[in-house]
Order: sequence, then structure tokens, then C-alpha cells
Amino acid sequence: MIELDTLSVTFAAGSALRDISLKIAPGDRLGIVGESGSGKSLLASCLMGMAPDAATLSGTLTIDGVDMSDADEETWRPLRARRVAMIFQEPMSALNPLRRVGDTVAEPLRLHFGLSRDEAAKRVAELFAEVDLPNPERRARMFPHELSGGQRQRVLIALALACDPALLIADEPTTALDANVALQVTDLLVDLSEKRGMALVLISHDLASVARSTERVAVMYGGDIVERGGTDDVLHAPQHPYTQGLLAARPDPQAALRDEQGKRKRLPTIPGNVPPLSGLAQGCRFAGRCALERPDCATARPVPHGPRMLLCPVVEGAA
Amino acid sequence: MTRLPANFLLGAVLVSLMVGLAALSLVWTPHDPTALDIRNKFADPSMTNWLGTDKLGRDVVSQLMLGARNSMTVALVAVLMGGSIGVVLGLLAAGIGGWVEDLVMRLADLSFAFPALLFAIMLAAVFGPSLSNAVFAIAFINIPIFARVTRASANQIWTRDYVMAARAAGMGTFAISRDHILPNIAAAIIVQATIEFAVAILAEAALSYLGLGAQPPAASWGRMLSEAQTLMYLAPELAIYPGLCIVAAVLGFGLLGDGLRDITDPRLVRER
Amino acid sequence: MTYFILRRTLGFIGTLFAVSIVVFATMNILPGDPAMSILGLEATEDALAALREDLGLNAPVHIRYVEWITGAFVGDFGTSHSFRVPVSELIGERLGMTISLAVAGMLLTLVLALSLGIFAASKHRQIGDWGVMFLSQLGIAVPAFWLSILLVLLFAVKLRWLPPGGFAGWDDPVAAMRSLILPTVALALVQSSVLARVTRSSALEVMRQDFTRTARASGLSQRRILWRHVLPNALVPIVTIVGMQFAALVTGTIVIENVFYLPGLGRLIFQSISNRDLPTVQALVMLFAAIVVTANFIVDLLYVVIDPRLKARQ
Repeated sequence: MIELDTLSVTFAAGSALRDISLKIAPGDRLGIVGESGSGKSLLASCLMGMAPDAATLSGTLTIDGVDMSDADEETWRPLRARRVAMIFQEPMSALNPLRRVGDTVAEPLRLHFGLSRDEAAKRVAELFAEVDLPNPERRARMFPHELSGGQRQRVLIALALACDPALLIADEPTTALDANVALQVTDLLVDLSEKRGMALVLISHDLASVARSTERVAVMYGGDIVERGGTDDVLHAPQHPYTQGLLAARPDPQAALRDEQGKRKRLPTIPGNVPPLSGLAQGCRFAGRCALERPDCATARPVPHGPRMLLCPVVEGAA
Repeated sequence: MTRLPANFLLGAVLVSLMVGLAALSLVWTPHDPTALDIRNKFADPSMTNWLGTDKLGRDVVSQLMLGARNSMTVALVAVLMGGSIGVVLGLLAAGIGGWVEDLVMRLADLSFAFPALLFAIMLAAVFGPSLSNAVFAIAFINIPIFARVTRASANQIWTRDYVMAARAAGMGTFAISRDHILPNIAAAIIVQATIEFAVAILAEAALSYLGLGAQPPAASWGRMLSEAQTLMYLAPELAIYPGLCIVAAVLGFGLLGDGLRDITDPRLVRER
Repeated sequence: MTYFILRRTLGFIGTLFAVSIVVFATMNILPGDPAMSILGLEATEDALAALREDLGLNAPVHIRYVEWITGAFVGDFGTSHSFRVPVSELIGERLGMTISLAVAGMLLTLVLALSLGIFAASKHRQIGDWGVMFLSQLGIAVPAFWLSILLVLLFAVKLRWLPPGGFAGWDDPVAAMRSLILPTVALALVQSSVLARVTRSSALEVMRQDFTRTARASGLSQRRILWRHVLPNALVPIVTIVGMQFAALVTGTIVIENVFYLPGLGRLIFQSISNRDLPTVQALVMLFAAIVVTANFIVDLLYVVIDPRLKARQ
């Protein structure tokens, strides 16, 4: 359905996505994890044809067999909402504050499907019920500031579902929400994907929600996909040094906070920071922070290998 | 040293040109600007009269230079008068607070009901039209503008630690306003003054055009335009030059003000 | 919300009251003898005394103020000294001209400024943006009366398409409209320069907000996003400026009517000044100031209509 082949995105400052190849089939649930700055949000906006104007794209991006890599705004527009829809991180600011949320959700329905005002309102109520918003007709007449964060995110999900997209991209959908609300929203996304046979791409730095809701996962670092595979496999037996670091840096609620001497235990962290675009290495981009680094890692371009398409010349890829 | 912004440079060039013309007119003009030479009326531009002469044979260039002097003087006096009163009121409002602040701000709100033109009309009706009335009217509308800018900027400085420290050390409101607040908001006030200079030039031109400002035979760009308007079929070019001068001066001070604002602080307290 | 409107209404009435005091005080308390300024220095003492009596100048100031303001409340501004008719009659005959001019000017300003401002914002950092910004910077520096003269030079003197000035009355609507084209354009061009800049910067700020991205992701066209989502959100600062601009437009008509010799309130004010007709000037200044204050009051109320969040706030 959607296929990326060696898609790269370059800015004046440097390359932000490097040779991304990815296939998304109907009903797939794919997680994309990585720190901020890894390029995962940029990848999502490429899938919507909404990469920044300053970006140069190369490689191919096909949707339903049509090459969209050079498509202009007018070619993209009918695909948005109808084939690919997206929800964003900030439910607080992602809704037009001057519009009743029902009207916001009705707008693409009326525009793309030519529904009448009443038909659209009826459909909006159905959609609100589908995303578990209580009292849908009343909610539809409210303004965003009258809703809670979780309710707003549900409205945005309803908006994204409105035109029956084949793929829903959720970019950090739960970051701004309370933990228990976040869990509900994630579960809702999985439910909807299963019921509708809709593919879901969940972008997150929250490994727990990715583990809970996706079948496959791709780990991104510095514009590369460094490792991919079944979600359970990757998260339980990470092979790439970066994935290992990411998992080790995760706080484990079961682990003791203090060591035997009663001192507060420090979480293991990956040394260093994500380098800026201009500072990215020619070779492996994790070079400089990696424990397994060899002298030629920073210069030699790694080749993906093994069943997990591992992007590391040091580690042997295993199943 | 960063590069100066383009608006600042262009503004500075135009302003120096206009101020230069005004200053030069104090010591020299090509001809006596008020000397009549009826036989030589509506002369075309020539080596002697660079832009020709008007309906009474007066030299246009000399009159324009005098007009520049008039504009600059009016703007300077009006902005200085209105500005200093406004700054003092603004400092008082921020320093004392409470009902003084409320009162000053209420008065500032109120005065926005009177554009310079209305105020000048009232003064003209009572005292008869004159340039000094025009200056008073323009100065008057400057008071609330400066009071607001000063209060807004000063209120920010009042929250700074060093001001708190000065206050704790027993320094009085007036001393703090003078020694700490004023020097720190000077940039904002200078930027505002430059912009209001442009507004004042525009206002003087309009008032003089309407007969509420400079009276004949005093030279003023606005008055030259009202004379030229009656002769549009005979000598249309006379209606062009003074207007160009007004635009150059207003544009110059406006750009200079914007440029200064960009240079001094991009996040300066902006009054609208 | 009711509280908000109530408070604003009280403030509005208070401001009008204060404005009337300022106008009355300026015209009546400032040193200078109105009778002398009407009749001139060579007037006889008898004539002056008679006129003072006629103008009611012998009553104490506060009594005169109360009489004036209560009269004004029911539309009685006294009798014009020079025209020998009630001031209200003079105003009534000319109000239509000034209002048509101001309203037409405001409409043209809105159309020009909103389209240019939104256009410039949509072409941010491109040639279109620079062009609009340059023209508006120039427009701000051009005095309206000079622009009028230039328009007359071009369209009346050179091309002879439109009359250079004057107004023959509404009996011939086409001729009347033709006489009002140049004044309206002159009024609107300068005002729209300011408003276009405000519109642009306000729109740019809104375009950075997340919901425009949501709208784009919903497959809405750029046009629709700009006009249906960005513009309404950009309106709050725009409306503030529009309120002040309407005030500027109304006082601008005073200038423009004099440039084009149009029989409106602006002409009347100047005739009254040269006739030393103080009651008329006083009434007109009060009327113009009241229009300015009212425009700002309406703007305050408009905020509530535009922004539903304000309704919730107390």
C-alpha cells in the first residue's frame, strides 16, 4: 500500500533522513521509536506530503502504486485524510480554538464526500461515539477550550478517521496526556485499527505504549532506521547498540530505586547527545556514543544486514 | 558588530538628507525664498531655479528647504514637549502605582478620543489658526503615547533584582526612577520618539494644508500643497515636489525608528 | 459575559461624559472671549455684551455645561451663529455625506488590507510578500491629502475620467458615485497600508499554530485554510486596529472633504472655524470624538463575538 525505497531528506544544514526503506501493508501496526531529533516526525510528515519547504527529497515514496516523491500540493491533497491521516502530539493547540469541534470534524466530510450539513453532523456523532466520547451530540457543539486534553485527542482521532483512511499516523499522540488517559488513547488506536482494518503507524519515544500496541517496530537514530523487526523480538532482545542503550535507559518500575548501600541508583544513560544535523557522521551516526565503536565506524557507511536489517557493522545480525 | 539592518540604513540616509536640507536653509538657500518675481512666475526648471518657480515667482527649491526646516522644527518641539510630559507621567505611573497609575492610564485612554486634527480644530476655533496651536495639538497627542510606552517598559524594569535591591537600600521612588529606570528604558523611548517624529511631520503637513498650521507667507510643505492644488491645471508639478519631500521625511524617520528597534532589542516592549 | 459587557458599557458612558467635559472646557474655559473672537477686535462694547447675552455666556460655566449636555442628549446643539439655523439641522444635512464616505472607505480598506495581508502572509519571504510590505511602508508615509491631489492630477486632470471634486447631490446617483470614487480610494489606500501589515503579521503568527497543520492534514486547500481557519483567528488584533482606523477614517474625512470640496461635516467644521461659529464647532468636535469612542466600544464588544474563549472568562 505504502512503500518507501531509499527515501532521503536533505536540508541545507545536512541530511535528516538517510535511505529509509519501509513497507506498510493494510492493517499493519508499526511502531517507530527513537529520541527527539532522530527524524521520526519528519518521516511521518513525508508520508503526508507535508515535509518542510526547505527539504529536498530523493528516493521514492509510492502510495497505492503511485509515485508521490515529486507530487505537488494539489496531488497530495485528495490523499490526505482519505488515504493517509495523521494525529499530532499537542491536542491542546491542534484544534482551531474558534470552531466548535463538531464543525472541525465535519469540514473534511463535507469537502471530500460532499455531505450535507445534517448528514455530516450525523456522521460526526457516529465518529465521536466510535472514539468513546460520551454524549457525542453535545460534545460536537463544544469549543476546544471546553474539553479536556484526552477528549481533544479523541476529537482529533475522530477527525483523522472521518474520511476512512487506510493508514493512520499517530505522532506522539499521548505525550501531552496523563498516564492513564494516555493508555486509554493508545488502546483506542489499536481497537480502531483492528476493527477497521486500518494500518497504524505509532511514533513514540514511549517504548511501553509501542510494545502494547504494535506488531512491528523500527528504531530510528540520526535519520537512519538502525534496527527493525517484530516488536516483541526487538524490545526483548535488542541487537543494535543504540536499541540496547535505549532499553537500558528506560526506568523499570519494578526495580529498586536504591542500591544495597541505600544510595539512589542512577539510571544507565547513553553518553552524549544526539548530534545536530550538520554534525552527523558520514558512516554510522551512533559513532561517538557507541560502546562497541571501531575506528572506521564514523567513516564507513554501514550496510543493513540480517533479518532485522541491522545497521551496524560490528554486531552480527541474528534472527 | 553585526550588520546594520537595511531599514535603518535607508532611514538614516533619508533623515540625514532632510535634516541636512533644514540645517543648510539656516545659512544658505539658492534664492531668497520669499522674494517675489512676478515676471518670472511658473518658470520651468533651469540653472538658476532648479525646480522652477511658483505663481509669485518664488524659487521652489528654496521654499522646499524652508519647508524642511519648518517640518523638523515643529516635529522636534512637539515630540520633545509631548514626549517629556508623557515620559514623566509614565515614570510616575509605574513608580507610584495605585490610583496614580490608574488615573494616568485613564487619562491616556481618554485622550485617544481626540486625534491631533480634532484638538487643533478646537484650538483654532478658540484662538484662531496658528502654527503654535498646531504644535500644541501634536504635542498633546504625544503625551499619552509616551506615557503608555514609558509605563509599560518601566513596569518591567521595576521587577528587576537591582531595582528591588535599591529599594531595599532605602532609595526613594523618584531617585530609582531617575537613576535606574530611565537609563534602562531610554532605548524604547528613543525608538518611539523617532517613530512619533514621522507621525508629527505628517500631522504638521496635514494641519498646514488645511490652514490650521503655518500661515502665509511662512513656508511649509503642507501649505505649498494647498496652494499648488488650486493651480493643478496650470502647474501640476508644483503639487509633486512638496509631497515627495513629506514622503521622504516620514518614510525616513519611520524606517529609522523600525531599524533602531531592531538593533536595540528585537523583543523590545512594543506599544502596538 | 454579561459582566464584561456591562463593565464595558459603563466605561463607554463614562468616557463619553469625560470627553464632553474636555470639549466643553477647551471651548469655554480657555482664556479668550468668544464674543470678541466672533466679532473681532474692533467690535463695540454694546455689541459684545449683546452677543454674550445671546450666546448665554453670562451664566456660570457649570450651568452652561449642564444646559449644553442635556440639550445634546436630545439632539439640540443650540443655534449656529453664522447660519442662523439649529446646529442639528446643519449636521443632519451633511451627516449622510460623511458617513457614506467613512463607511465606503472602511469597506474598501477591509477588502484591500485583508486580501493583501493574507496574500503577503501566504507568500512569506517571497516576492509577493516583499512587494506588499514595500508598498504598505510607502503607503503609510504618504499623506492622504497628497495622495488625493495625485489621484486628481491623474484621473481628473490628465485622463479626465472622474470629476476633480465637488458634489452635485444624490439626485443623479451615478454622478454622485463618480464624485465619491477618488475620495474613497484616497481614504482607503493609506488606511489599508497600516491594516495590511497588521493582517500579515497576525496571520503569520496564526499560521505557525498547530491547528493549521491539522487543517492541512485533513486535505483542506491552502486557500480554505487561509480564509476559513487562519483569518478568523487572526482577527482579534486586526479588529483592534480596525476600531482605531475607523476613528482615523472619520477624522480623515475632514481632510478629504476639504480636498474634494464635498459638502460633509468636515467642510462644515472649516466653514464654522472661519465664521467663528463656536457652537457649531463645539457640536462637531463632540460628535467626531463620540464617533471615535463609539468605534472603540464596538470593537470591545466584537471581541466577545469573535472569540468564544472570552465568553467563558470573567
